[in-house]
Amino acid sequence: MSTPPLLRIEDLRTYFYSRVKHAFVRSVDGVDLEVVRGETLGIVGESGSGKSVTMLSAVGLVTAGPGVITGKVTFHDEAPQDLLQGLDSNVKIERRDGRIMHITKDNQAWQKQANLNLRGVRGGKISMIFQNPRAALNPFETVGHQIAESVRLHTGMKSAAQAKERALYWLDQVRIDSPRLRYDNHPYGLSGGMSQRAMIAMALAAEPRMLIADEPTTGLDATIQARIVDLLDDLKTRLGMTMVLISHDIGVISRLSNRIAVMYGGRVMETGPTAEVLDEHANGHPYTRALLASTPRRENVTATGRLPAIEGEVLDTINVPCGCRFRARCQRVNDTVRTRCETREPELFEIAQGRRIRCWLYSPQ
Amino acid sequence: MASVLSQELVTTAALLLGVSLVVFLILYLAPGDPFAALLGGRNLSGAERDAAFEALGIPKTWYGQYLTWIAHVLQGDFGISMRSGQPVVREIFSSGMKTLFLTVGSLIVTLAVAVPIAAYSAVQPSSLRARAGTLLVYLFSALPTFWLGYMLIYFFTRKLGLFPILSATDETQEYGWLYALLPVVLLGLGNGALSEIVRYLREEISRVMSEEYVRTARAKGASIWRHAYKEALLLPVSQIIAAKMPFVLGGAIIVEQVFNWPGLGRVAWQAAQDRDYPVIMAVTLLAAIVVRLGSFLHRTVYVAVNPRASQQ
Ligand SMILES: Nc1ncnc2c1ncn2[C@@H]1O[C@H](COP(=O)(O)OP(=O)(O)OP(=O)(O)O)[C@@H](O)[C@H]1O
Ligand code: SF4
Ligand SMILES: [Mg+2]
Repeated sequence: MSTPPLLRIEDLRTYFYSRVKHAFVRSVDGVDLEVVRGETLGIVGESGSGKSVTMLSAVGLVTAGPGVITGKVTFHDEAPQDLLQGLDSNVKIERRDGRIMHITKDNQAWQKQANLNLRGVRGGKISMIFQNPRAALNPFETVGHQIAESVRLHTGMKSAAQAKERALYWLDQVRIDSPRLRYDNHPYGLSGGMSQRAMIAMALAAEPRMLIADEPTTGLDATIQARIVDLLDDLKTRLGMTMVLISHDIGVISRLSNRIAVMYGGRVMETGPTAEVLDEHANGHPYTRALLASTPRRENVTATGRLPAIEGEVLDTINVPCGCRFRARCQRVNDTVRTRCETREPELFEIAQGRRIRCWLYSPQ
Repeated sequence: MASVLSQELVTTAALLLGVSLVVFLILYLAPGDPFAALLGGRNLSGAERDAAFEALGIPKTWYGQYLTWIAHVLQGDFGISMRSGQPVVREIFSSGMKTLFLTVGSLIVTLAVAVPIAAYSAVQPSSLRARAGTLLVYLFSALPTFWLGYMLIYFFTRKLGLFPILSATDETQEYGWLYALLPVVLLGLGNGALSEIVRYLREEISRVMSEEYVRTARAKGASIWRHAYKEALLLPVSQIIAAKMPFVLGGAIIVEQVFNWPGLGRVAWQAAQDRDYPVIMAVTLLAAIVVRLGSFLHRTVYVAVNPRASQQ
């Protein structure tokens, strides 16, 4: 517990402006997260809960406005480094009754400063892989070149020959068949699974401290998915990699992560060790329980092939209720907590060491 | 790659052949006798005419004449100008070069202005500079070329007194080079297509900027332009060159009138007045080649950039 976490996100807020509704979409609305060295943190939550935007914000990859408006992201490799340092001076927020009414942001200056903060970190110490690897690779360049570029940008190996050797090494590490052949392939010649392997090779080629994997298996065939999960599992143990894994697939999450954060409506609702959070019989947040009940296990898959979903609609983060975000869909509100559920948002109550739940049912008083 | 390009060359050859044939036929069917000058302006009967043709070694049928023309052209011989008696090649070479200078130069000016404005307003759409640039572009495009041209001439000759009016041919003059650049800049900025080009480029650039592979480039800490330039710049720019070449050539002819610029436009006009058939044929062919160069360039860039195309 004495070593600080590798990445700490505090009160991160990322809003977008919806022209259609003339209102802010509060995609990330006060997220607190910690990623401990060597662990894999799984982030789960329904579509639109803000998982991707949280991690994209942390590494300054949100380009649409207003984007990231407040928060602190500390990356502690050798020394703590605030990735959002000096950025709030470019944002002016007008509040009324505690609600944000107007945001003025000098996006240009913001991006400039963010790029400065993140030089050497983004892509180097923190690298990312995405969903849909075939679109994520540059179609105009050979796979090998793209991996070698990562080597040259972020490691001491600067010569073309060295970088190529190293790229081939990584292609071999991700178990692509005949790396030498693949090195000269353009992405169009690769299958989805192979493209994801190439993406992973590219991310690892920078020799990062942390890998962010955003839905790395979504969209791939089931058998390919399983192989990519095996590969990630193997690489993470072999390289001792710290990883943030974003997925809706509870199966993938439970297989790879040590700890889980559950997100809903732009906030973290629950965190804790994987086994505890995913244990249906243990204490837990009503949202997580509902999520687990809806996950596709053999007995849950109905004859029509449709999966039971959680009752109710995903929160639109434009009109956030003033009480608990999950209230409209919550099945466990009781008379003891009802007034609090309706009026005040619960904080993340610590119910045990490393286990926090944002629900009045777990309030100490 | 080589096969794609040789295919392109074959297409070009076929196209030039087609163009020359059509123009030849139009000239053949048009009123007036191409051989009037050769036959000394005499009004000959059919038999006398045949005899005269035989004596001069001219085929009697139109296709015979066309084939003879082609055979000569293939040897680099475009015939003799009927007006000046000079070889056509010599006649149109310098004016051809001047028009090429005007056309290519103005395209460069157009792109030199359009690309930065488009790139800037694609990446920073709400910035003041992007808005000012876009406004300027719309302004230039709205003004008619000839009006802008006369304004420029007025400004430089009357206000600044840099050179007398209508002295394009006098290159020994002190500001001759400036006078040569003026029409290039004018055609480059005022050809009416500038705003359309900026809009097209801006859309392409912002489309590519939101591609996932560009996000990957950003995520890996690489330069986004290094990844985006092929799809966001090379392809659309060569596309524009291919599409706009005919219009720029057309615009060049107007600007040549305004600036008294001794280019192909004036040669063509003169040749049409004089019914100088060999010159008309050569000018048409040259114009077709210039237009074709644009699409040839586009095709080359496309094949060079696109890994799939170059594999075939
Ligand atoms: N550039 C943007 N402009 C406007 N809204 C955005 C933008 N990016 C994301 N959002 C919105 O933010 C919300 C959170 O998006 P995010 O991509 O983080 O969800 P997610 O939890 O990753 O979901 P998924 O599982 O579908 O990937 C969504 O409602 C989305 O519509
Ligand atoms: S705080 Fe209340 S509404 Fe929210 S999850 Fe807990 S019980 Fe349900
Ligand atoms: Mg996502």
